[in-house]
Amino acid sequence: MSQADLISTGVSAAFVLIMVGFAWLLGFRKTSKLDDAEIAKLAAAEGARVEAAAYDDKGRTAVAKLDGGKLLIAKVMADGVSARVMGQGQARVHAGKRNVSLTFGDLGYPSLNMRLENPPAWLTELGAQS
Amino acid sequence: MIAPAPAPPFEVPDAVKFAVPLFVLLIVLEMLYVRFLKKGRYQITDSAASLSMGFGNQVVGTLFGAAIQTAAYLWVYEHRIFTLPWTWPVMVACFFGEDLAYYWFHRVAHERRFFWASHVVHHSSQHYNLTTALRQTWTGALGFNYIFWLPLLFFGFPPLMVAMFSGFSLVYQFWIHTELIDRMGPFEWIFNTPSHHRVHHAINAKYLDANYGGVLIIWDRMFGSFIAEDKKEPPRYGIVSQLGTFNPFRVALHEWAGIFRDVASAKSPREVWGYIFGPPGWSPDGSRKTSASIKRDWAARQAAAVPAE
Repeated sequence: MSQADLISTGVSAAFVLIMVGFAWLLGFRKTSKLDDAEIAKLAAAEGARVEAAAYDDKGRTAVAKLDGGKLLIAKVMADGVSARVMGQGQARVHAGKRNVSLTFGDLGYPSLNMRLENPPAWLTELGAQS
Repeated sequence: MIAPAPAPPFEVPDAVKFAVPLFVLLIVLEMLYVRFLKKGRYQITDSAASLSMGFGNQVVGTLFGAAIQTAAYLWVYEHRIFTLPWTWPVMVACFFGEDLAYYWFHRVAHERRFFWASHVVHHSSQHYNLTTALRQTWTGALGFNYIFWLPLLFFGFPPLMVAMFSGFSLVYQFWIHTELIDRMGPFEWIFNTPSHHRVHHAINAKYLDANYGGVLIIWDRMFGSFIAEDKKEPPRYGIVSQLGTFNPFRVALHEWAGIFRDVASAKSPREVWGYIFGPPGWSPDGSRKTSASIKRDWAARQAAAVPAE
């Protein structure tokens, strides 16, 4: 890397920080929250219906059991939501007393670590099966 | 011994370098517009991810991306069939040739997973604003993206001329990443515009795999990939399987990891080929979604919704 390259890289790094700071100042910090209506909408987009759903304490992650036996996983992504529908075998579920983690083996969709006060029985059962 | 490349009659500008201050100014203006006039969308985490991807693209390019591409350009140019000079007619031809090369690169980058693995990065934001324009791949050179421009070098266009028009194209494509500019009348017949490019970034079934043009939209009109924006169907942005992460390394490499995972589980050479060079979403049993299957399902639903005469 030449000196000019280093300077240009430094200027770019500063530009990134300044733009992010400016976005913060302007208040672009809105985030979404998951609820039954949102999960039902996501399931309907896949032609499915929600049988049961569990949310973490902050409403930022959710897992739902759909009719037909599939799972819907949803996660707040800033002011949007990212969801995946998968067979029960495609997620490794580990259920503890106050938390549940789901792992998918997808670099673009990291494990969900959900804090729940009382994980529902169907989710604990899934954990026992996987 | 082959003749050296003709020297340009002027100092060839580095369009991207000169445009950076303009990029900054336009992003600031767009953010202010969104904030105070409540049109369009910005979110800090998303913009930070997009800008980090742009920064990473610059770092990778400086470290080895540009060197790989330049070496390939020069090697092919050494085996050229003509030696074209820096004249106006040649430059006009090179502009059209570069834009056509971009069209085919871009189309293949959407239709074949090997090239999609790099390009998916640019589409992975659920937002559409000027910072999305800077969400660029880190693996373009390693993913052989430059091969689509090699025929121009083989034909005899000077490497610097091709690079110059590629730079112009990149700069041109910055301003079309916005929701703030509506339809643009007759300009849209020939040029790529924000409206055309919103369609390109949309994941609505109706809009998938369309409007690949760089500067000109005429290629899409010629090769049947043009779709106009429909006011009744606002675009939803991102990728069919939205990412669940803003981590720049995961964003940059997730599709490559997916290819490796699928190839490792392949049961035949046909499956290996399909996972690497098939359309994104290809699977041996057709259980995953591809653009074609999504469009087919959508068309079937549309047809079913039309009441019988």
